[in-house]
Amino acid sequence: MKGTNEAVVLASSLCKTYRVENTQVEVLRNVDFDVKESVFTVISGASGSGKTTLLNIISGIDKPTSGKIIVFSEDLGAKDEDFLASFRCNKIGFVFQSYNLVSTLTVAENIAFPMEWLKKPLEQIQRRVEELLDMVGLKQRAEHFPHQLSGGEQQRVAFARALANDPPLLLADEPTGNLDTRTSLKIIEILHGLKDDGKTVAVATHDERIFKLSDQRLLLEDGKLVSKNE
Amino acid sequence: MSETFFAINDLTRRKLQTSLVVSGLALCVASTLFLLLLGDKLGFGILSMTERLLTTSFSRIFSNFIIFIGLLVFFVGAVIVAFMVFIMMSQRIRDIGLMKATGCPNDLVFGYFMNELVVVTFSGCLLGVILGTIADYASTNLLNNMGFQASQSTFNIWLALIIFVIFFAISLIIGAKPILDAARIEPSRAMSPSYCFGLRKESDFRGSAKAGLTFKIALRNLFRRKSAAFRIILCLTTVFILVTVAIAGGLIADQTTKSWIEKAVGENTVLIAHHDICDRYAMLLSKFYETTESPQFNYTDGKYLISNDMVNQLSTMPNVGFDLRLVLESQVKEVEGWTLDPKLGTRPIGDSRHGTCLVIGIEPQKVASQWFVNGRSLGDEEAYEVMIGDSLAQSMFSSPLYQNMTFLGEKFDIVGVCLDPINNGNVTYMPLKILQRVTMTTGPNAIMARIEPSADRTTVLNLIRASLSSQNPEFEALELDKELAKATGFLGYIWSMIILLPLFTLSAASLCMMGYVVLTISEQRQEFGVLRAVGVKPKAIVKIVSAQSFMILISSYAVGISLGVIFTLMILVPEPVVTAYTVVEIAAWLMAALAITFLLSLYPAVRFAKKPIIEIMSQS
Repeated sequence: MKGTNEAVVLASSLCKTYRVENTQVEVLRNVDFDVKESVFTVISGASGSGKTTLLNIISGIDKPTSGKIIVFSEDLGAKDEDFLASFRCNKIGFVFQSYNLVSTLTVAENIAFPMEWLKKPLEQIQRRVEELLDMVGLKQRAEHFPHQLSGGEQQRVAFARALANDPPLLLADEPTGNLDTRTSLKIIEILHGLKDDGKTVAVATHDERIFKLSDQRLLLEDGKLVSKNE
Repeated sequence: MSETFFAINDLTRRKLQTSLVVSGLALCVASTLFLLLLGDKLGFGILSMTERLLTTSFSRIFSNFIIFIGLLVFFVGAVIVAFMVFIMMSQRIRDIGLMKATGCPNDLVFGYFMNELVVVTFSGCLLGVILGTIADYASTNLLNNMGFQASQSTFNIWLALIIFVIFFAISLIIGAKPILDAARIEPSRAMSPSYCFGLRKESDFRGSAKAGLTFKIALRNLFRRKSAAFRIILCLTTVFILVTVAIAGGLIADQTTKSWIEKAVGENTVLIAHHDICDRYAMLLSKFYETTESPQFNYTDGKYLISNDMVNQLSTMPNVGFDLRLVLESQVKEVEGWTLDPKLGTRPIGDSRHGTCLVIGIEPQKVASQWFVNGRSLGDEEAYEVMIGDSLAQSMFSSPLYQNMTFLGEKFDIVGVCLDPINNGNVTYMPLKILQRVTMTTGPNAIMARIEPSADRTTVLNLIRASLSSQNPEFEALELDKELAKATGFLGYIWSMIILLPLFTLSAASLCMMGYVVLTISEQRQEFGVLRAVGVKPKAIVKIVSAQSFMILISSYAVGISLGVIFTLMILVPEPVVTAYTVVEIAAWLMAALAITFLLSLYPAVRFAKKPIIEIMSQS
């Protein structure tokens, strides 16, 4: 581990409950953990154990029902939508399981748009897009639209987009979940590179190959954090 | 689950979409029904051409407008209904595919969604009939409360039924097509966005690389959804044509027709006559806007004639222009005429019809009134020529300008047909000297006094009244401005109802636009969710959607307004009066129409942007 001891993410007594009609579904139950700078964290657990919800709460996409979530010293539960949007754009990169690229934008534009929202200079955006395309090995596909790419390629674009603003924290939700073994390896390679670069990463996954990269593993079971290995 | 239960359940769970379609349909049905009922009630328009009020020419101008606008309203209604039902069904095609994929038989799927369509169209059409009837009842009451006499006749149930059936049938036919199509195709295709939203995988249009991200996404989405975009543009274009014709045409026609009346009656004009003649004259003017009985009246009774002394004394007054008139009612007769036909040579025109009309002798060189005339005004005070009102021309003559009339055995050339509200256009003007000679009347029975606009009106009126009471207290000065205001007020009211009519359609169009935005959002829900998740603020989503709406609106607006102006010029009244104020007023109305439609269309986007990201993405 190359990081300092500073906690990038601090979760205490985190609970999340959804109300479906008259039934309450507890997705997270009193979850406490922290993620330190430059630590590669893997969140694992069975399907429905709360992994995605936890990542959503860390990124500010969702809010906890109770408890606190502090990310980069900001109490995300207490912030409004505009703050959270800027916060995500600047501090967090998010990779979704189902790629979620904007279908009307080309590969290059998909990577560029988080930078455009921050109104970065055009030259800087172009330079960064080229750098990221190089990193994910899709330089030849810059002008293609998402539907012209394979699943693995789309996921690599999603990684490039998540890293566009060079966020200090990268979250990935089942990044290899929809991919075949060969394509998954390319994603794992990217994750490996990020770990080597000292990026703080949290990945929700079942993939044992990613477990090997982890500095910290959180195991969730029915919304409870049952083990925390460092 | 029964087919009806499914339909009702599904519709109540999709409140916004359901209410949009029902209200859109209701507004279309209501505006068409309202227009027909109102036209019928006022005695002009599509159903009946019997002129109960207004002179023939005015009635014809209104009829032209109402028929044109009526056709447009009906056409727009059909287009809007088609679009609404298309939107509603487009959003359901994916579900149809899903149901088929899970093994639901075709006939059951068709039954579910047809029931849904029947419930929506029936409710929309029924609500429209109720709304249209209420609007007609309210406007007639308003008209009567304002002092006009529009008959509150019994509700025309057949008309309502016809409109209901037509719109119901159109909606069902149009709506059934996408359901049938979706029920026939493979489930995978029905579930594919390229089929259910009419999407193309890739937009032909890439836009400028330098274009802002908001516009880039908006523009490309627009070009991807060609089918829906084309339909909404067509729909809004017809709406804007209607709005332009009704507003621009209505305002210009309002100004023009009012100016005809003002010039015919005369502004700042006072009628000086015996009080019986004054009452009678006011009653004759009121025939333009209300049905009134006119009992026998002897206009040439000696007590009504104005003495030379009175004329001389009045003529000395400063700041007033006078012209003498002799008003009476008499029989006139059409004289058969001849006209030249290039093929048949001379051929006879007209008949020997006769009837009673108001006959007014005027001093052609002095008369203050300026009529809108087809032909020419009277010129020579010794000529045996007449200028007749448009209603008389319509009811008694075939080609009045090629014919003559006889009056008390004398033959007169008809030199012009004029627009005049007095006696609702059943009037004949002839030179005063001739009328006096023919009727052997010794003097005029009315004086028209026109007060100079620069003069102090009250002072002049007091002077006239003082002079009259010193000579004959039975004579009075009747200010015609009040009568004029009633006539122009009536015209203004009818025009304003015609102008306001497109508001119904405009509201329906706004609902259409909202429906389109809902469709856009449904299709882009996932992407908007992703944009939000990667840090895009909610207002940026509203920006993207509003950019799309604006592009749709502005293209429809440009085409609609241009075509609207052409149509307006085609059906507009002759010699239109267009002031700078009218132009500003028209521009303001049209801009307001654009702004209202745009703002209303943003509602679904604003509502959507407020949703939590999790909710947006979970519904994708």
